[in-house]
Amino acid sequence: MTILATEGLTRRFPRVTALDQLSVTVGPGVTGLVGANGAGKSTLIKILLGLLEPTAGNAQVLDMDVTTRGAEIRRAVGYMPEHDCLPPDVSATEFVVHMAQMSGLPRTNARERAADTLRHVGLYEERYRPIGGYSTGMKQRVKLAQALVHDPRLVFLDEPTNGLDPQGRDEMLGLIRRIGTEFGISVLVTSHLLGELERVCDHVIVIDGGKLLRSSAISDFTQATQTVAVEVEEGQEQLAARLADLGQTVTPHGRLLMVQVAGPETYDAVRDAVCDLDLRLIRLEQGRQRIEDVFRGSAAALDLAGQVPA
Amino acid sequence: MTATPIHEPTGVIHDIGYRHYDGRRLGRGSAVAALTLHSLRGVFGLGRPARSKIMPFGLLVVMLLPAVVTVAIMMLVKQQGMGYPGFTATMQTVLAIFLATQAPYLVAPDLRFRVLPLYLSRPVTVLDYVGAKLAAMTLAMLVLMVLPLTVMFLGELLADLPGPGHTGEFFAALATSVLYAVMLACVGTAIASFTPRRGLGVAAVIAFYLLTSAISGVIYGVLASLSRDGAAEWAMLINPFFAVDAVQVWLFDTPPGNGVGYPDGLGGPIALLGVLALIALAVLALIMRYRKAASS
Repeated sequence: MTILATEGLTRRFPRVTALDQLSVTVGPGVTGLVGANGAGKSTLIKILLGLLEPTAGNAQVLDMDVTTRGAEIRRAVGYMPEHDCLPPDVSATEFVVHMAQMSGLPRTNARERAADTLRHVGLYEERYRPIGGYSTGMKQRVKLAQALVHDPRLVFLDEPTNGLDPQGRDEMLGLIRRIGTEFGISVLVTSHLLGELERVCDHVIVIDGGKLLRSSAISDFTQATQTVAVEVEEGQEQLAARLADLGQTVTPHGRLLMVQVAGPETYDAVRDAVCDLDLRLIRLEQGRQRIEDVFRGSAAALDLAGQVPA
Repeated sequence: MTATPIHEPTGVIHDIGYRHYDGRRLGRGSAVAALTLHSLRGVFGLGRPARSKIMPFGLLVVMLLPAVVTVAIMMLVKQQGMGYPGFTATMQTVLAIFLATQAPYLVAPDLRFRVLPLYLSRPVTVLDYVGAKLAAMTLAMLVLMVLPLTVMFLGELLADLPGPGHTGEFFAALATSVLYAVMLACVGTAIASFTPRRGLGVAAVIAFYLLTSAISGVIYGVLASLSRDGAAEWAMLINPFFAVDAVQVWLFDTPPGNGVGYPDGLGGPIALLGVLALIALAVLALIMRYRKAASS
């Protein structure tokens, strides 16, 4: 089953090409859309909502074409924009009820759904106060609630963790995971942090400059380049040499040594090497893959692919 | 399972999990109706903090005061007080202030706080949005005009004045109110929509009213002092309120509300054309404004 699919999707603005021949398919569950600022994430979402005409190519959302059935798509999906979008002088309840009605729910049902949804996103007594007095975290919850209130089959969440503190970030990510699993609503969530998305997504799409860099299940990402970062007080070179001798792949990374995890024996090798050399270990942690690593990896893969025909 | 006695009061919120909605989903029309109602409530500050209610309800009371005084006169002195047809033109300053303070409230926050993209991510279109906002402002202006007129009319019926009634004039005034409301709503909303800042919108709308009424007044004064009364009457039509009043005089043969009268013959039709052109211009400007806002 395909939730959305694009084929050769291109969007050019007068000065910039926001999307360039993008072809992706997304299945049910939580899908992450990763890219640096200006990579074309928001443009893609606007096209998928039928609000922006593609210059070339086509796209289907829930098997509906975005150029011809935009209104139907917008009835069946929810959208949480990246930017602030809340009027300050109404309460969260009033606003979410109103947005439910704007999606076609009758007033009584809208009230019921709004109360339910606000509870699910974690807004309780404060929902009767005007939104203007809310913290960023609470505002993000209201934005999420208005996207869910009409029980869509798919939600687009544009940078939902923007501006949140670490705890708020964790809570938001937990909510997104619940939406995808417990609520049974498919999610397309954008972020510029891959590490953040790998905790909640089943599938990740990486775009850069409007082009598709990579689209794969999250397990591929972590398996392919799982690393462990090792930091010792001194004797970094010695350790690197010893680990290489033990058959590990080591790359120095500033004060850190990145060791590729081949299996549990890698951790044993690190432990033994550090003990044998009598080094003082400062840090041993799971390497967080960052978006740059994906870029580097993909570039390397492209280079390899380029060498094949030669 | 052990039966533990419960001592503290138990107010438990049961998490019944996520429930899907399988009820009715209405069409675009009901969404537009919901937006209209939401906007109309916003104009009068309903569902908003108390300070949002002061201005609209204060002005509504000011509109009702002359009506109440008129009713009192009719009851006590048994004389017709303020006439229906001239009421709106006489109260134009209050209406202009209401329009200037409330029309920006209708459109500016959606632009400033970027609520518009949220609306457009729903099945409604830009035209639906503009239509709903105009409908809300028109209804609000109608409330402000029709309520005092109705109070006066009910007063007249109760007072049982000697002589012929003024039922015809009352209905003429009601019909004219619709034209007033549509014109004011379109012009006020269009001007206000060009700035996301409310204060600027208020100033712009009030400036438009002051400018037209001042220009009209000055030209009228100059021409009247030159004893060119015919031309002076044409100058009256520059003020949009008097233009609508001239249409009323032409269509319903009511006494003019400006105290000096309007040009005979072509005056009425031309005033109507002018008002309609103003409405068309305002709607066009609004649509262009929102097409641009939607694509950005």
